[in-house]
Amino acid sequence: MSPLARQITAIARPGLAWAAHFIAIYALISASCAARALIDHPTVVADAIVATVVALALCLWSVVAAPKGASADLRRAAFWGGLIFALACLANAAALVLLQGCGG
Amino acid sequence: MTVAETPPDYSGAHKGEDKTFEGVWDTPKGLRVLSSVSHRVVGRRFIYTGFAFFLIAGFLALLVRTQLIVPGNTFLDLETYNQVFTMHGTLMMFLFAIPILEGFAVYLIPLMLGARDLIFPRLGQFGYYCYLFGGIIVLSSFLFDAAPDGGWFMYVPLSTQAHTPGLSADFWLIGITFAEIASVTAAVELITAILCARAPGMSLTKMPIFAWYILITAFMIAIGFPPLIIGSILLEAERLLGLPFFDPTLGGDPLLWQHLFWLFGHPEVYIIFLPAAGMVATMLPTFVGKPLFGYGFAVAAVVSMGFISFGLWAHHMFATGLPILSLSLFSAASTMVTVPTGIQIFCLIATLASGRPRLTVPMLFILGFLSIFVIGGLTGVMLASVPFNWQAHDSYFVVAHLHYVLIGGMVFPLIGAFYYWAPHFTGRMMSERLGRWVFGLMFVGFNVTFLLMHITGLRGMPRRVATYPEGLGWDRLNMLSSIGSYILAAGIVLFVYDFFRSRRHGPIAPRNPWGAGTLEWLYPPVAPGFNFHAIPPVHSREPLWDQPDLLEAEAHEVEGVMHGLRDGRRETVGCDPVSGAPLYILRLPHPTWVPMIAALGMALLFGATLASAYWLSGVGAVIALAAFAVWAWEPSDSGVTRDAGMGHDLPVNVVDRRSHMHVALVGTMLVLMALFASLVFGLLYLWNIRPDAAAAVARPEALTAGLGGLCGLGVALAGQMTRRAALADRFGITTVLSLLTAALAIAAAGLLGLSLGPVDPWVSALGATLWAIVAFTGLVLFALVFWALFNAARRTARRVGPGQSMPDFNLATLAKGAGLMVVVAAALFVAGAYGGVG
Ligand code: HEM
Ligand SMILES: [Cu+2]
Repeated sequence: MSPLARQITAIARPGLAWAAHFIAIYALISASCAARALIDHPTVVADAIVATVVALALCLWSVVAAPKGASADLRRAAFWGGLIFALACLANAAALVLLQGCGG
Repeated sequence: MTVAETPPDYSGAHKGEDKTFEGVWDTPKGLRVLSSVSHRVVGRRFIYTGFAFFLIAGFLALLVRTQLIVPGNTFLDLETYNQVFTMHGTLMMFLFAIPILEGFAVYLIPLMLGARDLIFPRLGQFGYYCYLFGGIIVLSSFLFDAAPDGGWFMYVPLSTQAHTPGLSADFWLIGITFAEIASVTAAVELITAILCARAPGMSLTKMPIFAWYILITAFMIAIGFPPLIIGSILLEAERLLGLPFFDPTLGGDPLLWQHLFWLFGHPEVYIIFLPAAGMVATMLPTFVGKPLFGYGFAVAAVVSMGFISFGLWAHHMFATGLPILSLSLFSAASTMVTVPTGIQIFCLIATLASGRPRLTVPMLFILGFLSIFVIGGLTGVMLASVPFNWQAHDSYFVVAHLHYVLIGGMVFPLIGAFYYWAPHFTGRMMSERLGRWVFGLMFVGFNVTFLLMHITGLRGMPRRVATYPEGLGWDRLNMLSSIGSYILAAGIVLFVYDFFRSRRHGPIAPRNPWGAGTLEWLYPPVAPGFNFHAIPPVHSREPLWDQPDLLEAEAHEVEGVMHGLRDGRRETVGCDPVSGAPLYILRLPHPTWVPMIAALGMALLFGATLASAYWLSGVGAVIALAAFAVWAWEPSDSGVTRDAGMGHDLPVNVVDRRSHMHVALVGTMLVLMALFASLVFGLLYLWNIRPDAAAAVARPEALTAGLGGLCGLGVALAGQMTRRAALADRFGITTVLSLLTAALAIAAAGLLGLSLGPVDPWVSALGATLWAIVAFTGLVLFALVFWALFNAARRTARRVGPGQSMPDFNLATLAKGAGLMVVVAAALFVAGAYGGVG
């Protein structure tokens, strides 16, 4: 991969990680809180922790190893994008920490 | 001169070798101008048509405000009032905001990026006519006294046949879906144009920031519009055929509509905001005289906004009884989206602070944008908090908030953009003096109208009420709001006057009138129809600032690639999507009626469906399909190499992943996947939410579903083998493999259909959704079969030369996507058969 392509990947990765994480959390909540009640709350929390750790790792990868090379601006974009998305993943997961169940 | 005099040794269509370079690019005269495909013509049409819809919708808003000016008013009857506010919202959101911004993008992107046209000019024309006809269908409902009246989001059950008999909802569903096709095609077109046709050396980091904004917006349209398209089709199917998707008595769920609508509807708001913000980020540096502060921040912010805006949709459903845990998730994401928004605003303010802004009219509108949008953002944060939302829900507070965001975030930048880019359209400057009046009237009028609505809302006035009793403390506020709206309207009328006045009497615009840094100002207004004689290499984001030679020479003498190339064809340079290095020559189509005929065929299809004249719908479908076939039946141009100047020997077209056709196809696959995913979402949603109903649904047959899945794998495999064979120029085998791909696709569709034999779509929502998945997959497979047979036919007819394997190369990508859909569908059916749908 060219240095520029590597930077573009580093910009896209946190976004895709956030999207996957959001879908995962939404799916977990839907699976436990809808009429079908497929899984119980502890399972939701456990799975969500795993998903969050993975997603955070993918986001922060772009932060700690924002690729140098082609452009200082894109490096900065990867760095800040990574941070924003890491924060957003934490926000997605926050609800699970604050509430102890589906909450009615 | 070397290149110009060599004989045209190119293969392919012989279209205009007798013409001069200028002649080749000429816009056709007289009525034939309607056949023009140039991005400049099509872009302007989008802009003017969009503005016409804005005026109509604005007029409707004034009717609303006039009705509400005093309590107990009888200016409009209740029924008409519903129609008026529904049409106001609908026209503004679907037929004004998105199309007009896409129009600006269609117009500006090639000019800014150094291309002579968009890569798919015919698609542009097709999209425009879909938009126009769709808009006419929606508007014509007024003539039949059947204007939609269910609100701009058409909630079910209100919009079902039982509660909205007659055609009004059908006008909405069919017309809007049709117009959305235009938005989606324009999105694919813009993605390809941005990635594949830039000036030499314009790597992704050297792209003007506007192009980033539009690139992200286009991706958002490609993913965000499909849920609504699917939702609309399902609802129309429920209304027309009685399939019970949203019917709770048969296991459907009205909330499914809300999910699909807002999966589209929230990103829509950002789709409207981002291009406008991109225009601001383009204009602002010009007036400050310094580059945009923090390009990298801005890119990060735009990308993250694009993603996160898809995780907010349910904040429009806070009051529907979703589980609190869900609400918290959406509330968190809604709060998080302020981070990238804030960063963008911060970049703009930092730019503003980095120099001494010239207070021109566009600059005033930028300041107006900043102040109004920030307030709208703040009330948005308030609404993202669930308890506050429950209080303010469906009140005038929401109306105030949404207009702060939409008018502040989009209309103000838009009017500023008109003042800024008007020289492109008219060759003249608009008036600085009148412009200040326009701004003043709009700014004051806007705030008087909408600032007060916050209070009206907090005092409890619900939205969408045709009148209200005296003495609730709403009278004075409403009176003032209405007066404000007249002031706002006066500003817009003055703007229209100024625009027309300046066409005749405005001062002639000099070259680069504002001293901007981006390439669209390289030529003196109005730039010639081909945009660039030579496409200059670019070393910076503000080439006109950093490469003084560009403005020192006369524009047509600027050095660049493609200068002397005279093939009698419209041509531009295709580039590497990442680095911007020139890779190939793109041959572009000349004016043609075919896309318009295709759009007419589709209009007939949709219009006749509305009128329940189904045989006529069939005729329309045939016309459209025939037009598409003619469209595609061009001789291939690839396989020759030309000297493009500056040391670039470029082939016409390349056959690999970086080619424009392949990029466009990937964009299209994204749309198709999003459509498919919306259906799968619907299926899983209903299954999850209504286990009782799911248990009663008959089960699909596992064996046929499994076999269908295998055929799906086969389709992907055969497609890939076709690609290999074509790349190796093995003619006979390629034809046979194309036919095999088609045969497997037919088998896959048939087997999937068979496996649902026991499932009756009319008795359960889940069954109907299963069938909808088969229908959609079948449609994609049909396109695949059509294309594969088409390729085989071309090979048999000897229309394909060595090295011309692009269609087969691309077919493989479609085959893999279609194969994936079949496999997913089959897996769901098999799961349903074993696990039981219930
Ligand atoms: C030109 C000045 C405008 C005025 C005076 C205005 C006024 C209004 C009013 C009073 C309502 C509330 C009607 C009701 O709830 O009974 C409304 C609704 C709405 N407006 Fe505007 N508006 C304007 C511009 C816009 C623009 C530019 C957009 C979008 C780009 C827009 C989008 C909407 C939407 C989506 C609704 C909700 C319709 C519904 O409830 O179904 N408006 N407008
Ligand atoms: Cu929203």
